[in-house]
Amino acid sequence: MDLTGKTVTLAHGAGGRQTAELIGQVFKAHFSNPYFTADDAAVLPRPGGRIAMTTDGFIVSPRFFNGGNIGKLSICGTVNDLACMGARPLYLTCAFVIEEGFPFDRLEEIVSSMEKTAKEAGVRIVAGDTKVAGKGQVDGVFITTTGVGVIDDQVNTSGKNAKPGDCVLVTGDIGRHGCCILLERDEFGIDAKVSSDCAPLWNSVDAVLKEVPDVHVIRDATRGGVGTVLYEIAAESGCGFELEQESIPVDPAVGGVCGMLGLDPMYLACEGTLVMIVPREKATKVLNILREQEHTGDAAVIGYVTDTEKGRVVMRTSIGTQTYLPQPGNELLPRIC
Amino acid sequence: MCVGLSARVVRVNAGSAIVDASGARREVSAQLLSDLEPGDYVMVHAGAAIAKITENEEEQADDLMEEYLV
Amino acid sequence: MTVNTGGRMTGAMEKARDIISSYRGPKIRIMEVCGTHTHEIFRLGIRSLLSEDISLISGPGCPVCVTPVSYIDEAVMLAIDKGCTILTFGDLVRVPGSDSSLQAERGRGAKVRVVYSPLDAEVYAREHPDEECVFLSVGFETTTPSSCIALENAVSDGIGNFSLLCANKTMPAAYRAMMNTTDAYLYPGHVCAVMGLNDCRQMLELGMSGVVAGFTAPELLTALAVIVRKFQEGEPFLVNAYPRVVHENGSPEARAIVDRYMQPCSSRWRGIGDMEDSGMRLRDEYAAYDARRKYDLPHIEGRESRGCRCGHVLQGECTPRDCPLFGRACTPDHPVGACMVSSEGACSAFYLYGKQ
Repeated sequence: MDLTGKTVTLAHGAGGRQTAELIGQVFKAHFSNPYFTADDAAVLPRPGGRIAMTTDGFIVSPRFFNGGNIGKLSICGTVNDLACMGARPLYLTCAFVIEEGFPFDRLEEIVSSMEKTAKEAGVRIVAGDTKVAGKGQVDGVFITTTGVGVIDDQVNTSGKNAKPGDCVLVTGDIGRHGCCILLERDEFGIDAKVSSDCAPLWNSVDAVLKEVPDVHVIRDATRGGVGTVLYEIAAESGCGFELEQESIPVDPAVGGVCGMLGLDPMYLACEGTLVMIVPREKATKVLNILREQEHTGDAAVIGYVTDTEKGRVVMRTSIGTQTYLPQPGNELLPRIC
Repeated sequence: MCVGLSARVVRVNAGSAIVDASGARREVSAQLLSDLEPGDYVMVHAGAAIAKITENEEEQADDLMEEYLV
Repeated sequence: MTVNTGGRMTGAMEKARDIISSYRGPKIRIMEVCGTHTHEIFRLGIRSLLSEDISLISGPGCPVCVTPVSYIDEAVMLAIDKGCTILTFGDLVRVPGSDSSLQAERGRGAKVRVVYSPLDAEVYAREHPDEECVFLSVGFETTTPSSCIALENAVSDGIGNFSLLCANKTMPAAYRAMMNTTDAYLYPGHVCAVMGLNDCRQMLELGMSGVVAGFTAPELLTALAVIVRKFQEGEPFLVNAYPRVVHENGSPEARAIVDRYMQPCSSRWRGIGDMEDSGMRLRDEYAAYDARRKYDLPHIEGRESRGCRCGHVLQGECTPRDCPLFGRACTPDHPVGACMVSSEGACSAFYLYGKQ
């Protein structure tokens, strides 16, 4: 169906014929699966075992960026949150708040990448909601996704579970999403080939947990990046970290952008990179499994958990010294003068 | 005080230059240096190339060691 | 040419590290003048390598730290009372003035835009003719030329809605003011890249030693080792340990463009006080581009916080940890004093990287 030139109007949110048209033309066309409901709630078979449930709201400017868009992001974010608990993502709901005047074809593009990403992660979108807000009341489109997953009996991941001696891994190079968004906003005139790492990581996590169910911690390094996440885990577990500066994978172009702006990739957001903390004797095995998987080929061991500097992240530098990784601050600001 | 980044000059035109630092490119002012050429390495600060880089770090360290540190 | 060693420890680096670690003898006080040096020395953990007989003092070369409270007050006044769009380096956004900061005012609707370069600020003004744009022109000899290029562009483009709020500073007065607190300067490499070695030579004539240093691990290690070796010889010395970037005559083009638009003036340094010929202001013929004159700003006497020992820290008379406010009332999230406000300030570096 040709959606060119068509835009979302307040009538599309009023619940009548036009709402049905929007749902039919855009959402149903893509989200179709046996559980997707037109009723007030999806009715689903009860999974065995413990379930994990999470929700996340997505606002991103720009909505389309190198390597993804807000739709892909909204699926990855929730799938990865579930994956961090070791939960196989089963069902997802999504709520849209759309600005009046938003083009149908762009909305369709967003919804289509949601479908594709959900399929890759093996999760079903079972219910949705759309609201249309007046011009200027929202910026384009906001999406909230809620997900339910099921956790295998042997799996128990939590920030509290980090143990001294454990190895710390990242599943890929760090800070790429944050850097990509910074470049897309084009506030600093810098040009670099950096695409967002935005990806659904359940398949990688699943592959690891099948072989090594006793992974202690999995955390997605989204807002605030790997540095912020490690400080969170340090606080939750009462442990410390020692990292090897040179072993932290950073895309050279991300390094170049950070160099120009005086930023540290340790605090830039990732949307397809997890921090994993595993028993030391399992680290090589986990690393090898991750490197076989599609989105985690650049996984690396970056350090280990300690019981000496509780609550702190210590960095071992290229010249063999130790410093603290600075505690994450509030807003990332370029440092120039 | 003065965060600087070394970068390679890719193009020069009329008082400005495109520089590249590991794949990150930006236009900077070339007005503070005479006769910049593509391929030169420069130190970039706050949007201007402030100095040409004339040797690499390792040679510099070796020279200093030979002269002062042996 | 590969520019960096990529983190490997080379023979020269190991030798330099041994020299600064194993030194025994009369205490050597070294002042790293430059805030970027302070930051990199902490980030690389170099303090932990130093022998007990070497002390590093973090000097006044962080433009954000030495910019007086009243400057932020002026910027806030321009944003609020005069409705100007403020264009600034990210470094200044969080700095508290007497009552508020640019970050807080942005939250209340003030237009504050972070730029990478003063040149970008001029372009912004050109593209937004209906906004009155003020660039917060801070920085030392390295940064000032970029402000002047921006101004030159504005003059030649005939841009009437662009002006500078100047607090640019120059180092020589500070070099002279601090010389009794230290045995040798680690001279700021990028200031020297622009100015050449002349200012350092004048200090040598006054008997003050120093080494011009770069910013990477090998550069900082070798520069410190050269200081230790030359100090032991007993004579005042000056060594350029950053010759790949710092050349004898610096950038005459940079000095010429600064001279065209600016002239030296007395300037107030937070934590130190007023110093003659330590700042730069716009020449009278460019008064139309001087935000203070253009918007007829009143003289503001900023309120410095009490109890803060930043002045002593900057002069090496105490370390941040000796200050009663450090880490308690004064943290990077709630900075009280000058040295905590910038990530390049001594107190902020001590707090954030504090293992050493």
